[in-house]
Amino acid sequence: MSFRNYKDKIEEGDTVILYLSNNLYALDVQREIKNKKGEMIENVYQTPFGALKVKTLIGADYGTKIELTKGWGHVLQPTPELWSLTLPHRTQIIYTPDISMILLQLDLVPGCVVVEAGTGSGSLTHALIRRVRPHGHVYTFDFHEHRAKIAQEEFKDHGLADFVTAKHRDVLAEGFDKDLNGKADAVFLDLPSPWLGVPHALAAIKEEGGRFCSFSPCIEQVQRTCLALQEHGFQEITTMEVLQSEIKVSRRTVPVRDLSFLKQKSSISPVEEKPSSETSYVVGALPQSNPGHTGYLTVATLPPVYVRGKSKKDDDNISSENGEKMVVDENV
Amino acid sequence: MSNEIKIGDYVVIQKQNYKKLHKFNKADSSISLGRDTVNLKGIDGCPYFSVFKMIPKSSKRNRDYTVELAQEAVKLKDEIDIKVSGSDNRNILDDGNSQKLSASDIETLKSDSNKASDIVGTLINNSNTFHNKTEFSQDKYLRKKEKKYFEYFQVIKPNLRVISEIMYKLDPGKIQNLRIDTLSQIITMVNIHSEGNHLLYDSGSNGLVAAALLSVIGKDTNGKLLHMHPGNMSQKQALLAMNFPEEQLNRCVSVNVYSALRQFYQGCDTNNGVDKDIQTSENDENPLKRKADETDEHQSKKMKQEEDEELVESLDKTDGDKPRGNKKPKWHFDNIAASEILQNKMDSLVIACKEDPQNIFNELVSFVKPGRPFVIYYSAVEPLQQLYLTLRPRANVAALKLTCNWMRNYQVLPERTHPEVTMNGASGYLLSGYVLK
Repeated sequence: MSFRNYKDKIEEGDTVILYLSNNLYALDVQREIKNKKGEMIENVYQTPFGALKVKTLIGADYGTKIELTKGWGHVLQPTPELWSLTLPHRTQIIYTPDISMILLQLDLVPGCVVVEAGTGSGSLTHALIRRVRPHGHVYTFDFHEHRAKIAQEEFKDHGLADFVTAKHRDVLAEGFDKDLNGKADAVFLDLPSPWLGVPHALAAIKEEGGRFCSFSPCIEQVQRTCLALQEHGFQEITTMEVLQSEIKVSRRTVPVRDLSFLKQKSSISPVEEKPSSETSYVVGALPQSNPGHTGYLTVATLPPVYVRGKSKKDDDNISSENGEKMVVDENV
Repeated sequence: MSNEIKIGDYVVIQKQNYKKLHKFNKADSSISLGRDTVNLKGIDGCPYFSVFKMIPKSSKRNRDYTVELAQEAVKLKDEIDIKVSGSDNRNILDDGNSQKLSASDIETLKSDSNKASDIVGTLINNSNTFHNKTEFSQDKYLRKKEKKYFEYFQVIKPNLRVISEIMYKLDPGKIQNLRIDTLSQIITMVNIHSEGNHLLYDSGSNGLVAAALLSVIGKDTNGKLLHMHPGNMSQKQALLAMNFPEEQLNRCVSVNVYSALRQFYQGCDTNNGVDKDIQTSENDENPLKRKADETDEHQSKKMKQEEDEELVESLDKTDGDKPRGNKKPKWHFDNIAASEILQNKMDSLVIACKEDPQNIFNELVSFVKPGRPFVIYYSAVEPLQQLYLTLRPRANVAALKLTCNWMRNYQVLPERTHPEVTMNGASGYLLSGYVLK
């Protein structure tokens, strides 16, 4: 239950993040686990630095140092960011640089209702929940029945069930739940054919408008999605790519080679033709292998109904005065 | 916040891709959009997202406009019917003779016509080459002209995304080149959400980082933001522009870093006698602060007098409750509140500074609970590299990571999709990690 609130001490049932010299592991704090024969035995977690008796963690402070036979590490409380790095992959997942941008581009703040398809491994879902709680809600759908079920159980285990509804549903074929019509502040699509989801997004977003975001690895998906968005009256359609690189910092001592003495005939001969001294720099180098592409983020605004779609299908018979007043009254 | 434009709101005026932040403080306040001056009388009470048409006051030449609620923004492309297009540009010569109208003809046309489509239509009809251009090239021409002659704007609600975009576009130097992707990562890297006490040291983002954190802390929640700054008054522009409700804004405690830490360590601000000392000592700090922020202040004066006036005005309002019951200024209570929040320890630490981050980090990290994240933003990489090497051998931090971001926007059009021709290169660097016991 360590996903729900800030905690100071580790309790049984928590998921903790084990940080061992730049490697992260997610670990469930249970005194005992079942072995292959189905018997309950003491829970011992094998790390590269030696075995960890899990029960020793109970009662310890988060951020505390733990001693292992061949080294030491630290235990951290999971955040959506740490979880993205340690979660069991059931699909490809979206990582923090894209997640951060998605959250900001969707204008999400506590209290928002956000709809996501598909759930995948729940990497983004955890971040969505964190952003909209305590008053908001995340509705997430996956067309893979088993995956949807695992996600549902995971949210329950993580103590997040109050803030999220995870369902098995083929959104492209069936649309979102009818109950969700006009309920969402934002819709996020990570689907193979996001353009087919655009009409469903239109139906789900509130009358006062909202935001849309689609994550697609391929530019052809983006092109079709942008066309669909335009046709359905979305504004401010923008496509972007965000990449993060880690800079490796080190202190580097480099030789200094002096060439200026060559201008004159040297009295002292022969001068050695090799570096004469050393100097030291703090250098930041980009890693040799760097993420080059994750996916394109296509975002758009759906304006409120009173300005929606006028540019597309013009209904001259609707009086704007009355129409607007009525809509506004409903929203106040 | 309601869905109607109200006097007193900060609003965003969007004309095509240009957005401008405006404090709508009078029903007939004016705003300058490029070279045009637009009187906003009539937008009060209209729903957000409404489209307004700019109506020239007298002749178009003096560029004064009033506004009128419009059904929709008419697109040039819909008004101008193009019948023929060429297949390539082999027959188009740039000999300066393709436009039959003279420069003065065009000037007269511009000031006499009321509709953008009339101007552009006449230009096209008098062009020898337009109809030989390819469809794509014609489209591009119309989009370019539309930008020039567009007569409509929309009024939208400010939010973090829009404010960050506006401030970055207007003058990235004033927000330390903090680009939207990097800003979004500051929020997630330190796990800011509706709960907890979050500590921010900010010396020069015009309140953008504070606005970001407070918006994510949310309304009607328990989270608190302790916003430390080196000056007498915190930079609040972005914070105010968010139109946060009172309740939410009150959970952002803005304090001078010297006063707050003095109060925490020396606890002197509890009786009246010592109170005076603090005030004088705070005045002593003025010269220091002046030096540090001098360049910045000059810039802001030059760049946005209008906004500065608004800023001052609204600051006056927020400080209107200065003399409370026992005649103590608001900052006195803020320092005590800050000290109390610090006693309970913080759940995250964000530093976005102009100074060397090292000392600031060393002091503030002691207030952060073990296991909680921190992030430091700096516009250049060297100070963070230095700090990284200093922190790496230390036992009280882990998972140190120095990152930078790259962001590219795309033009997506049928058969014409490509990255946009300019990128925003400047975005600064983040050093993040976790505090250990």
